[in-house]
Amino acid sequence: MAKIDLNTTAVRAANEQIRQAGAAGENVQILNPDAKHHIGVGLTAEIQVHIKGSAGYFCGGLTDGPNFEIDNNVGWGLGDNMLEGSIVVNGNAGAIAGVAIRGAEVVIHGNMGSRAGQVMKEGTLLCAGNANFMAGYMMYGGRLIILGNSGERVGEDMTGGTIYVAGKIESLGSDATITDYDSKELDSIQDFLERYKISAPKKFQKIVNAGKRLRYASTEQQIRSIPFFTFSGASQYWNQKIQEDIFVKSQIGRYRIRGYGGARTLPHLSDLGFRRDLSNSIEESNPVSKVNMHTKIGGLNGAKPLDLSMPVMIAPMSYGALSRSTKMAIGMASSMSNIAENTGEGGMSDAQRDAASQLIFQCLGGRLGWNIHDMKRADGLEIYISQGAKPGLGGQLMAKKVTKELAKIRGIPAGIDLRSPSRHPDVLGADDLVIKIEEFREATNYQLPVSVKLGAGRVRDDIKIAAKDGFDFIELDGMQGSTGAGSAEVLEYVGIPTLPAIIEAVDALEEIGRRKNIEIVLMGGLRDGVDAVKALCLGADAVAFGTSTIIAGGCIACMQCHVGQCVTGIATQDPEHEKRYNPEIEARNIHRFLESVRWQIAAITLGLGYKNTHKLNRDDLVALTPEAAEITGLELVPSRKKDLPDKLQMRIGNR
Amino acid sequence: MCGIAGILYKQQRSDVAIGKNLIDMLDGCQHRGPDSTGFALYHRQKPDQLRLRFFVGTGDSALSSIEDIENQLAKFQAKVLDKEFIGRTLRVTVKFSGDIQKFAYAIEKTAKVISIGNSLDIIKDMGGAHDVDSEYGVEEFKGSHGIGHVRLATESDVKLEAAHPFWATGFADIAIVHNGQITNYWKMRRRLEQRNFKFNTDNDSELIAVYLADMLSKGQSLMAALETSIEDMDGTFSFLVSTKDEIGYAKDRLAAKPMVKFENEELIAIASEEVSLNRLFPGQALNTMEPPPGTFDTWQKST
Repeated sequence: MAKIDLNTTAVRAANEQIRQAGAAGENVQILNPDAKHHIGVGLTAEIQVHIKGSAGYFCGGLTDGPNFEIDNNVGWGLGDNMLEGSIVVNGNAGAIAGVAIRGAEVVIHGNMGSRAGQVMKEGTLLCAGNANFMAGYMMYGGRLIILGNSGERVGEDMTGGTIYVAGKIESLGSDATITDYDSKELDSIQDFLERYKISAPKKFQKIVNAGKRLRYASTEQQIRSIPFFTFSGASQYWNQKIQEDIFVKSQIGRYRIRGYGGARTLPHLSDLGFRRDLSNSIEESNPVSKVNMHTKIGGLNGAKPLDLSMPVMIAPMSYGALSRSTKMAIGMASSMSNIAENTGEGGMSDAQRDAASQLIFQCLGGRLGWNIHDMKRADGLEIYISQGAKPGLGGQLMAKKVTKELAKIRGIPAGIDLRSPSRHPDVLGADDLVIKIEEFREATNYQLPVSVKLGAGRVRDDIKIAAKDGFDFIELDGMQGSTGAGSAEVLEYVGIPTLPAIIEAVDALEEIGRRKNIEIVLMGGLRDGVDAVKALCLGADAVAFGTSTIIAGGCIACMQCHVGQCVTGIATQDPEHEKRYNPEIEARNIHRFLESVRWQIAAITLGLGYKNTHKLNRDDLVALTPEAAEITGLELVPSRKKDLPDKLQMRIGNR
Repeated sequence: MCGIAGILYKQQRSDVAIGKNLIDMLDGCQHRGPDSTGFALYHRQKPDQLRLRFFVGTGDSALSSIEDIENQLAKFQAKVLDKEFIGRTLRVTVKFSGDIQKFAYAIEKTAKVISIGNSLDIIKDMGGAHDVDSEYGVEEFKGSHGIGHVRLATESDVKLEAAHPFWATGFADIAIVHNGQITNYWKMRRRLEQRNFKFNTDNDSELIAVYLADMLSKGQSLMAALETSIEDMDGTFSFLVSTKDEIGYAKDRLAAKPMVKFENEELIAIASEEVSLNRLFPGQALNTMEPPPGTFDTWQKST
């Protein structure tokens, strides 16, 4: 038995020692824990860890296998995302105990705080005392047993799993209902309680999902798609798009869901031009060989940075929204071009991991497919706060795409219209976020860069918070960013376009003295190397391409991604449709597109007079429209003299 | 976006190392807010004396601010008994028996008031608990109770005026620390402004302080004022309030912001995280409790 005294050992060093003990199969005792955070985080060995006192936030979080016993209380997020293993708490637990567990047994002898078992998927969370507000909030599966009273709104928005309450139910949450249980269930609970030496009550009330909100009442039929250029037509009035929209709403009686991003004309990077004529790059037959584009992202706090052959990444897109073959093709293309790929929501598949040489693993509020093992084999971690296409909202995946296989990976019931939570259970402010980032770092031994994905909304505040909270880099996504499914209202009218977003972000960092310190990766409707260079000039350290890579791989921009019957086999989970997609061929197509981006970046950089993309700056750009000039503060061309000619002034004066 | 802490010794004592207690508790949760740290401390003073603290800055501008303040004090016939220019603030003890609200509103036109009270003194500045302590000597402070705050600025600037605790502008001896966001801030503020209350900042925490002080001045108990605050305030919040002889808390209905309390015969201590409480009792397993959503409570010094 190894003894670790937290009075003399910092938690980070202690966790390292616990992992070593785990590897050696040795049990551990923690002395003087004094409610410190992150004790035992990231442990994947089947050992006993006995904490002699109280533990703080995320005790036993992001683990698989260990058995924890805590003599006294624990803070928020007990056993966060624990796969196999067990935790016994002899005192009380704070809020969100058993959050996102996937198989673990969590036993609390005292009371537990609010939102216990939020987004849990599998396993048992037992509270021998009283549960507070919203126990079982948004749970997807597993079993929550409360021997005392339940608190208000128990089972709020649960989509799966069961809750058993022996005491009083204060009130039921929305879409939760009380139902009968059989003797087998009671036996199973009694067996469980016996194992943990807790006497079992004779009667329970069983709460399950009422099934009223799992699916939309009406399904949107696939319709003849309107080509993007018509869809985004210049006239706002009674055009084909508006007519179609009204017609569909007259059939389904609710807001619409569609794929892609905003189709309105918005100020964008195309409203900027380069100041110099670029003809000096014409002389050069191979600009790529002449320009240094090598970019490292995320090394700010000592983690191993992403190592990119050019300042370009793939934007996060999920396996779920896209087919497995598509994610494979994108992964392969990213490896061929030596840039980084991103899992998006919903977990990491082996195929994806094998295909991509550098892979960022994205973590969303639903913790769908999130787990310690895939964290450890990722090259970077990303906390999704929101995305440009639908700031403030979580992912959407319509029932057609929530197949059995996909549901299993994500840990959710199959065949529901999945509307992922819009917030993280354990991040309700910038202060909690600090503790969450630290948990990720503890779990991965401070080796991986941890980034934040922000949809452009209140960019100035958000960027400052991201920088202060200690992220390794920021992924900023503007309004032109696309999605596999989102409501048209949000896609078109919520958020800030990509161009003003980067301006405000750079400004915000300057205000707090962090410019050139924390890296920004800009995304949101960037189409080619020309857009990329403009973004770099404005202050982005790298850019990410999403939609343009799937178009390179065969997407026809019909905007029906949400339906799940994608004719190209890209945005579908139907094997018949997916068959049409050849990952090897499409990987080469995407790779060729990425190489054209590389060539464009190199040629323009050279044309602007530099041999290194990091030299690109604002002075290389001019604004082509008054709007763009106003947004960016760049000079509008043609530039005018300040003093108007006398004659002209007179005319204005005479008016 | 912050960490909060408060402590009150229930026995009628005013010689406890409150400063040291709060430094330890706030250092324990400094990860929740590295930008600024502040303390509201209560100590014994003669009934007709007022303690005032002003933000004056540094250098020549500080000297001219101090001159302005002294002129104002003379105008109100506040007799200066003691003064100290420390850190970026001026602390003055005066003999004064007039209308404090009128006095405070008038003096604010020429100076930045941090706190006014018979026993209250608010000390706050940039940096961590130990930074503020080394500049202002908080550790030396002995008293009966106090509250404190570490801040991570999210929507307003990092500056002394925006740091917590907030004084209930115009009301002696009332201070507040707050973690969260009041979403009906402007509506509530306009309602109070129509009744001629003044606000020094655009910070939502100042609103809570003024709101509670207004209730108290109408003769309500702190307990009753906290109860209505949960009804009247929208948003996510956990806050602590302190008056001359009591402290209290209120927590929003969504329980979005953390709070843990520990109580024994001798004292009540409340903090955002248990790790802060454990700083007072190293190596001990404490019998703590997380207050349920939508609840409030107060504790008084025994008399």
